[in-house]
Amino acid sequence: MARSKSRKIIVKGLWKENPVFRQILGICSALAVTNLMINTLIMSISVVFVLAMSNLTVSLLRNVTPPRIRMMVQVLIIASYVIIVDIMLKAYLPDISEALGPYVGLIITNCIIMGRCEGFARSNPPWPSVVDGFACGCGYAVILFLVAFFREFLGFGTVFGMSVLPAQWTRWTIMVMAPGAFFMLAGIIWIVRSFEKKEEEQITGRS
Amino acid sequence: MIKNKLFSIVYMFLLTLFFTGLVSAVHTFNQEEIRLNEHIKLQKIILHVLGMQPDSNVSDNEISRIFNKRIKSEEQQGRIIYRGYGPDGTTLVGYAFPLFGPGFWGPVFGMIAVDDQLEKIHGIAFYKHSETPGLGGRITEEWFVRQFKGKRLVPVQQKYFFLRPPGTAQAENEVDAITGATGTSRAVEKLLNSNLAEYLALLAKHASGT
Repeated sequence: MARSKSRKIIVKGLWKENPVFRQILGICSALAVTNLMINTLIMSISVVFVLAMSNLTVSLLRNVTPPRIRMMVQVLIIASYVIIVDIMLKAYLPDISEALGPYVGLIITNCIIMGRCEGFARSNPPWPSVVDGFACGCGYAVILFLVAFFREFLGFGTVFGMSVLPAQWTRWTIMVMAPGAFFMLAGIIWIVRSFEKKEEEQITGRS
Repeated sequence: MIKNKLFSIVYMFLLTLFFTGLVSAVHTFNQEEIRLNEHIKLQKIILHVLGMQPDSNVSDNEISRIFNKRIKSEEQQGRIIYRGYGPDGTTLVGYAFPLFGPGFWGPVFGMIAVDDQLEKIHGIAFYKHSETPGLGGRITEEWFVRQFKGKRLVPVQQKYFFLRPPGTAQAENEVDAITGATGTSRAVEKLLNSNLAEYLALLAKHASGT
């Protein structure tokens, strides 16, 4: 029973309530760090870590935290984990830390994290909260990887820095720049949502 | 009610104490590593502006080895200057010194290298700033910094460089500014000229004195 519950949470995070293409959250970083897959990988790991850990901490403290100051507590927790990630990147992956620039610090303001703390971890026990954080983080990561794959593939002709297209390939420079990210993300949301058209029509009142 | 408020304050205080303690511990633990990374980064930049950078895929140890052989740092009146030597490690080829000043949004840090006669620019780099990405942030891009390479250092009205509207720079002491980043361009022009004036005077005095 516990397992099926975990599975439900994972399906929700990855698909049914995917933070990026369902809730349109975390778009800022989704656009900013997706021009190279290696950056995306590190960013995704960071977000998954911060999400799971903040969810766990918020959930552990859920019965003691006075509701009046819960937002303050959540921000404190999230910020602490993000700073820890930032320090670790600076110490062990300085090149990537530089490439990601301010976007690691900006994980603090990523709505996905506060959204999950507020919407899930605050009212659920620790284990499901960790699973939820992990699932939502992966849901975010999957979309980022999709965007990054096409941007790097078309923009540089490489995948994870390895050349896969012939040298005479004309690079789609626009894919590396910000507009490329907008096109890709919009395209992905469009494709994914047209799969779910029927489901949407049943609940038209919501939109 | 009072009790609740008091609890909130004490709770928040303790939680903050715990998390700041945790973050400080992680920071202290990794401080040395971060410092080392920044040290290597600075060495790379100095070698780069002096035109001595090896291939991009050499190890950090190799960078340090080249740096120790070809660069000597010294302090002149509280200012740090790096002397760059040829591959043999004895003939002086130029000087590198830091650029620093207010940008449009925050401080800008850079490095510049001039030849041993203080007549030409070897190279220039900006490595830390808070300018708008895609606008002022483009000061780090190759096309912008490449413009300075080989330029002669002849002051006109105590200024070495003028940043002109993009595409209109023609004279020896003019370079293209950045479109959409007038504030940053002006700030960079100002910090470049003031740093150059200060360090070149210092270097000239020092060179004639020895």
